Amino acid sequence: MEQNKDFETLYQEWKETTDKLMERFPERKESFQTSSNIDIDRLYLPDQLDSSYMEQLGLPGQYPFTRGIQPTMYRARYWTMRQYAGFGSAEETNNRFQYLLKQGQTGLSVAFDLPTQIGYDSDHSMSRGEVGKVGVAIDSLEDMEALLKDIPLDKVSTSMTINAPAAVLLAMYIVVAEKQGVSSDCISGTIQNDILKEYIARGTYIFPPKPSMRLITDIFAYCTKEVPKWNTISISGYHIREAGATAAQELAFTIANGKAYVEAALEAGLDIDEFAPRLAFFFNAHNEFFEEVAKFRAARRMWAKIMKETYKAQNRKSWQLRFHTQTGGSTLTAQQPDNNIVRVTVQALSAIIGGTQSLHTNSRDEALALPTEDSARIALRTQQILANESGVADTVDPLAGSYFVENLTNEIEQYANEYLEKIDELGGAVSAVEQGYMQREIHHTSYETQKAIEKGEQIVVGMNAYQLEDEPQPELHRVDPSLQKRQIEKLGKIREHRDEHRASAQLEALRVGAKGKDNLMPLIISCVRSYCTIGEICGVLREEFGEFTGI
Amino acid sequence: MKMKKKIRVLIAKPGLDGHDRGALIISQALRDYGMEVIYTGLRQTPEQIVSSAIQEDVDAIGMSCLSGAHNDLFPEVVKGLKKHGAEEIIVVGGGVIPWEDIPFLEEQGVQKIFTPGTPSIETAKYIEKAVYKRDGIGLDEDLELVKKIDHIGIAVNSLDESIPFYLEVLQLKLEGIEEVPSESVKVAFINAGNIRLELLEPTNEKSSIHTFIEKHGAGIHHVALGVANIEQRIKELKKKGITMIHNTPKSGAGGAEIAFMHPKSTQGVLYELCDKSSKESQ
Repeated sequence: MEQNKDFETLYQEWKETTDKLMERFPERKESFQTSSNIDIDRLYLPDQLDSSYMEQLGLPGQYPFTRGIQPTMYRARYWTMRQYAGFGSAEETNNRFQYLLKQGQTGLSVAFDLPTQIGYDSDHSMSRGEVGKVGVAIDSLEDMEALLKDIPLDKVSTSMTINAPAAVLLAMYIVVAEKQGVSSDCISGTIQNDILKEYIARGTYIFPPKPSMRLITDIFAYCTKEVPKWNTISISGYHIREAGATAAQELAFTIANGKAYVEAALEAGLDIDEFAPRLAFFFNAHNEFFEEVAKFRAARRMWAKIMKETYKAQNRKSWQLRFHTQTGGSTLTAQQPDNNIVRVTVQALSAIIGGTQSLHTNSRDEALALPTEDSARIALRTQQILANESGVADTVDPLAGSYFVENLTNEIEQYANEYLEKIDELGGAVSAVEQGYMQREIHHTSYETQKAIEKGEQIVVGMNAYQLEDEPQPELHRVDPSLQKRQIEKLGKIREHRDEHRASAQLEALRVGAKGKDNLMPLIISCVRSYCTIGEICGVLREEFGEFTGI
Repeated sequence: MKMKKKIRVLIAKPGLDGHDRGALIISQALRDYGMEVIYTGLRQTPEQIVSSAIQEDVDAIGMSCLSGAHNDLFPEVVKGLKKHGAEEIIVVGGGVIPWEDIPFLEEQGVQKIFTPGTPSIETAKYIEKAVYKRDGIGLDEDLELVKKIDHIGIAVNSLDESIPFYLEVLQLKLEGIEEVPSESVKVAFINAGNIRLELLEPTNEKSSIHTFIEKHGAGIHHVALGVANIEQRIKELKKKGITMIHNTPKSGAGGAEIAFMHPKSTQGVLYELCDKSSKESQ
C-alpha cells in the first residue's frame, strides 16, 4: 500500500507537469469526445499503479517512454506529415515542394539522386543514366539554392536522405540559410547520416567504416555548438527492413547501430548529454499491425534503458527515442496498384498508434516508378484522413494494456536483446557489419519470405492471389532524359565562373584537414561556399580515406 | 544429342543502385535450381559487366536495376557484348522497370524483362530454356525419354479382396478409386512412397485385365514409365522399331495420357507410357 501511494504521488506530479506544459503547448481542443459524446481522456491507466507497470510502461513523456515521448502526444499536435520527394532538377523539385507545402504538408524531405548520394558530379562516368532519377541532382551550392528558393528555412524543417556525403549537403544547407539571412542556430531538420545501414542494406557508401565514423562524429561535434536544432543522424531500420529483415531484426540491428554511433562519439571525446538529444531514428511500418505497434513501443523502452543504464546519460532528452516512420515500400505490389493505398493506410495507422514523430506514406505506384503528383497527393491525404477523421490521435498510446500488444512488446524486446548480445560478442555493430553478419541474417529471412510467397503460403493480394487477367496500365511519372545533359552544362558554367584559385585552395585545406584530426565541417563549409562541387569534395576525401568496396 | 550442361549466370547490379534484395534472391534461387551463379556486387559499369561475363564464360547475364537507369545501362551491356563478339550471351533484366520501357529494351537486345511479382522459378526456367534453345539442346523434358517410373499396374480379381492386404498388412495409403469404362476396369491407387501401385480389377469379360488374369493369373500386369510429350515419344520409339499397342495416346486413369508398347518388342514386359504433364501444368 505504501508503495502504491508513491506511484499515486508520481502520477499527481506528472499531471501537474503536464498541465504546466499545456499552458505553453495547449491541446488541439478543450476536450475530446467520441460521436456518442463519451469523453476521451488524455491517458488511460490500470486501476493500480505498481512497480512493474512503472518500470515497463511508465507515464508518457517519462522514462522509459514506452507510452510515448510527450505527455499529451497527438492531442497537442499531430505528427509531422513529411513526404519524401525529389526528382529531376533542383527547380522541378522546388516546384513539388511548393505544391506539397500548399497542400498542407508540414515538413520537407529531400530525396537525392544516386550520383549525389555517392559523391559523384553529374558529369562523372559512373553517373550515366542516374542523374535526377531517384531524387534531385545536386552538384554545387547553386543547385541547393535553386532547390530551397523561396522556402523559409527558419520556419520549415527539412529532412535530407543523405549519408556518405551528409556533411557536404548539410554544409550547403547552412550556407543557403545564411544567404537567406537565417543563422545556423535557427535552422532545423535532419540528415540521415547513418552509414552503417548503408553497408548492411542500402548501398550508398563511399568511404570505409573508420573514416566514415569520423565524419559522423565531426558532424555531431559541430552541430552541438553551431546547429543545435539539427538532428545529426537518423539511425535507420527502414532500409534494413526493406532488405528483407523481420520486425525484430529491424529493431535489433538499428539499436545496435545506434550504440555504435554513441560509442564512436564517446571515443571522440564528446559528452553524451550534448550529442545524444539530437539522435533520431527512422523505422519502417509494415503490414502486421500489432507487431509494428509493439516494435515502436519496444524501441523506445530499449533505447531509454540503454542510454540511461549503459551509457549513464543524465539528460532525459538523451533517453528519448524520437523517430520518423515510412510505410514499407517492399510491401507494395506492381499488380493492382490502387490496393497499395489500403496497405499504406494500415501501415500508417500502426506508426501513429506506435507514437511516431513524423510520417511518410508511400504512393500507390511506387513499385512501378516514382510517384505521379496525383499519387503523391493521395498518400498525403491518407495521413490527413487518419489525423482528422479517425479519432485515433485523441488519446495517448491507445493500445497500452492490451494483453496481446504488451506481450508482443515484451517479446520483441527480448528477441532484439538476444541479437544485441550476439552483436556485442562479434565486437559491436561496426565489426559485425564488416563480418557480414547482419547482411547474412537479413538475406536468409528475405529468401525464406520469397519462397513462402512463391509457394502461396504467404498471400499477397493481387500478386499471388486474387489476380486480374487484364490489368490496366497506370499513368507513370517520367523523368526528363535530357536532364543529365542540362546538369552537365550547368556544372561547366559553375566551374567557369567561380574563383578557381579559391576553390582549389579550399579543397587543399580540406585535404590537409582529412590527413589530420581537425573537425572537417568548417573546412567543408568553406569548400561549399566557394562552389566546389560535391564530386570534388568527395573526390579529395576519396583520395585521403580510400573507398569501401563491399564485403 | 548434345549433353545437358550446368548453366552459368552472371547476376549484375549496373549503375549506382544499392537495392540488392532482388539480385540476392534471384542468385540464390538460380543456385537452388542447379545453376552456377556469379554475383558482381554493387555499382558495376556496363563495361565491367561485359568483361566479367566474358571472363566467367557465362551463358546468361541477369541485371537488376531499381533506380530508373535501365534504359541507359541495359542496352550498353548488349552493345558491349556485341563489340567483344560475345553476343551469344543471353541478357535478361528486372527491377523497377515501367511497362512502357519493355518494348524499347527488347528492341535493344535484352531478351526478357521480368516484372515485379515474377516467381523466381519462372525466371530460372526461362533462362534454362533460352540457353538450351541457343545451344540446340532439347529441353529437360525432351532430353530424357523416361523421367521416372510412374506406377506399377497389378491385376487383381477383386479390389475389395486385395485392398486390405495393401492397407492393413503393408500399411500403405489408398489415394482413390476410379472406374475407366473405356478399358472396363476399376482402378485403385495405392501410395507406395516414391511410386504408386495401381490395382486393376476387370469390370466385365471384355476387359484386357480379364484376359490377362485368365492367361497368367493375378499379379504384376504392367510397368508405367512417366514421360513428357507422349506423342513425340511414341514417334521416337516407333522409329527405333518398337511396336506400339496404341499408336496415338489415349486417356487413362488419373487424367493421364497413356500408350502401351507391345511386350513382344520390349523383352516380355508390358510397358505403359504415361504423360501427366498436361494435368500438372493445369
